[in-house]
Amino acid sequence: MRDEFMEQSHQAAAQEISSREALEKAHGAGDLVIQVENVTKAFQTPDRGTMVALDNISLNISYGEFVTIVGPSGCGKSTLLKLIAGLTPISGGRIFYQGSEVQGLNTKVGYVPQESKLFPWLTLEDNVAFGLDSKHYSRQKREQQLRYFINLAGLTGFEKYYPAQLSGGMGKRASIIRALAYEPPVILMDEPFGPLDAQTRMILQDELLKIWEQKRQTIVFVTHDLVEAVALADRVVVMTHRPARIKDVIQVPMNRPRNIFEIHRQEGFDEAYGRLWNIFRHELNIGGVRNNSDG
Amino acid sequence: MAKEMSPEQARAGVSSGEAAIAETAGFVWKRSLWVMLLRTAVVVGFLLLWEIASGRWIEPFLISSPSRILSSMITSFQSGDLLQHTWVTFQEIGIGFPVGALSGIALGYWFGRSQLLAEIFEPIIMALNGIPRTALAPLFIVWLGIGIWSKVGVVFLLTFFLNFFNTYAGMRQMDEEYIDLARLMGANRWKLTFRVILPAISPYVFTGIRTSIPFSVIGAIVGEFIAATEGVGFFIRLSAGIFKTADVFVGIIVLMLMVIAMDKVAEMIEKRVLQWQVRTDHVTIQG
Repeated sequence: MRDEFMEQSHQAAAQEISSREALEKAHGAGDLVIQVENVTKAFQTPDRGTMVALDNISLNISYGEFVTIVGPSGCGKSTLLKLIAGLTPISGGRIFYQGSEVQGLNTKVGYVPQESKLFPWLTLEDNVAFGLDSKHYSRQKREQQLRYFINLAGLTGFEKYYPAQLSGGMGKRASIIRALAYEPPVILMDEPFGPLDAQTRMILQDELLKIWEQKRQTIVFVTHDLVEAVALADRVVVMTHRPARIKDVIQVPMNRPRNIFEIHRQEGFDEAYGRLWNIFRHELNIGGVRNNSDG
Repeated sequence: MAKEMSPEQARAGVSSGEAAIAETAGFVWKRSLWVMLLRTAVVVGFLLLWEIASGRWIEPFLISSPSRILSSMITSFQSGDLLQHTWVTFQEIGIGFPVGALSGIALGYWFGRSQLLAEIFEPIIMALNGIPRTALAPLFIVWLGIGIWSKVGVVFLLTFFLNFFNTYAGMRQMDEEYIDLARLMGANRWKLTFRVILPAISPYVFTGIRTSIPFSVIGAIVGEFIAATEGVGFFIRLSAGIFKTADVFVGIIVLMLMVIAMDKVAEMIEKRVLQWQVRTDHVTIQG
C-alpha cells in the first residue's frame, strides 16, 4: 500500500515539475507560485475613517517553499492570507497566483483557518472529502486518496466520527488534511496551532513537517510564535506593527528533515532565532533592560 | 464507547471506580422509575377527582367526566362522524403546514443570502408580523369561501411566519467562514446550499418547524370556528352550542393527539438530521 502511495506521489511530483516548466515558459515567472506586488489593504473603521492594515507589501514565494510570516498580533498577517485566497478585495497593488492575477476567489489554494472549522454536520471522512468533489476522481481513486490522508494524520478508525467527538488536536489534524487532500499547490495556514497546548503543538508541528516532506506543497504559515516560525520555515517573513510592512526576510539555513522536539540543538537554529529576535525586539518596543532581565 | 455495566459486572468489582459508575447508573435508573410512577399517580389522581367531582359537586354539563368523554368518543368514532371531521382538519393542516413551512424556510434562506432583499423587506415583514394573525382568519373566509381552502390559508399564514423568522435568524448567525472555506474548496452553489448552509442552520429550521406545529392546528381550528361545515373545530363549536360538553372534550383530545403525533414525527426526523449534534453528548475521545 505504502509503496503504491509513494509511487503516486513521485508521479505527482514529476507532473508538478513538468507543469512548472510549462508555466515558466508561459509566464516567464521563474518558479514563483505567488507574487505579491505593492499590495495595500485598507479597512473602513466604524467611525467612517480608514485603517490601513497592509502597506505596500511585496513578497515572492516559490514552488515547494515553506514560508512563515510572523508579526505582532493584529498586524494584518491573516489579512495577507485572505488576500492571497481572494476572500477579501484588495485595496491597491496586485497579487499573482501561478502567473495570473488573483481576482475573486482563488480556488486553487487550500486554507487552514485559526480554529479548525471542520463542518460539524459532516463526519471526519466527509470533511476531508469535501474538496475532492471538484476533482472528479474515480470512486476508487477518491477512496484511496481519503485513506491515504486520514492515515497520514493518524486518524484511521475515526472516519465516521463527527468533529464534536474529536479532541482539539485531532480536529486540527483533520482540518489540515482537509486542505491537503485535494492537493492544491499552495496551502495557506492562519495560526493553525495557536490555541493548542504546548505538547500537542509540538506533535502537530512534527506531523505537519513529515507530511510536507512527502508532498512538498507550498505552505504559507502565519504565526506569532517565533520558535515555531523558525522551526518550520525555509524563510521567515517579519512584519511590522500596523500599518504592516515587511520589515525583513530571514533565510533559515537548517537542514531537513528537522527534529522538532530537539529543534534548539539543531545547527543553525540559534543563529536564525537570534537574528529574528533582534528584529522582532524593536517591534515589541522592549528596551534593552527588560530584554536582559528576560535572558 | 463506554458500555453500560450490568449489575453482575459491577458486583465482580473490577475496580472501585467502575463499581461507583455502575452504582450511579443504578441510582439514576431508580430515580427515573420513581418519576414515572409519581407522574402516573398525578394523572390518574386528577382523572379520578374529575370523575368524582362531576355530578356530585359540579354540574356534568359544565365539566363532563372522563367516563362520559370515553363513551362519547367511542360512539362518535363508530358513527363515522368524528372520523370525517378529523380527516377534513387533517387535510387542511396537511396542505397548509408543509407549504407554509417550506416557503417560510425558503424565504428565510433567500433573505439570509441577499443583503439587498433583506434590507428592503425586513421592516415590512416585521410590521406584518405585528398583526395578530388569527385576526386575518375572517378575511380568508371572505376570500376563499367556507370550504377547506380558507383554513389552509390560515394554517399557511401561521406556519409561514414562524418558519421564516427562525430560518432567517439561523442565516444571520451563520459563521461566514464556513461559506468561505466551502467556496475555496470548490463548492458550487448547489453544494454550498445543501451541504453547507442548510445543515449549518438546520437546528434553527427545526426549531421553526416544531414551534409551528401547534400553531398550524390552531390556525385550522380558528378557521373552522368562524365558518365551516366540517372539521374538528366545527364539531367542537357545534357540540358546545348544544351543551354536549363530553363531545367538546372529545374534539379537544383529537386535536391534542394530532399535535403530539406531528411533533413525534418531526422529532424523529430532527434526531436523524441533527445526529451530529445529538451524538455530541455521548462520546468524546481524547488524543
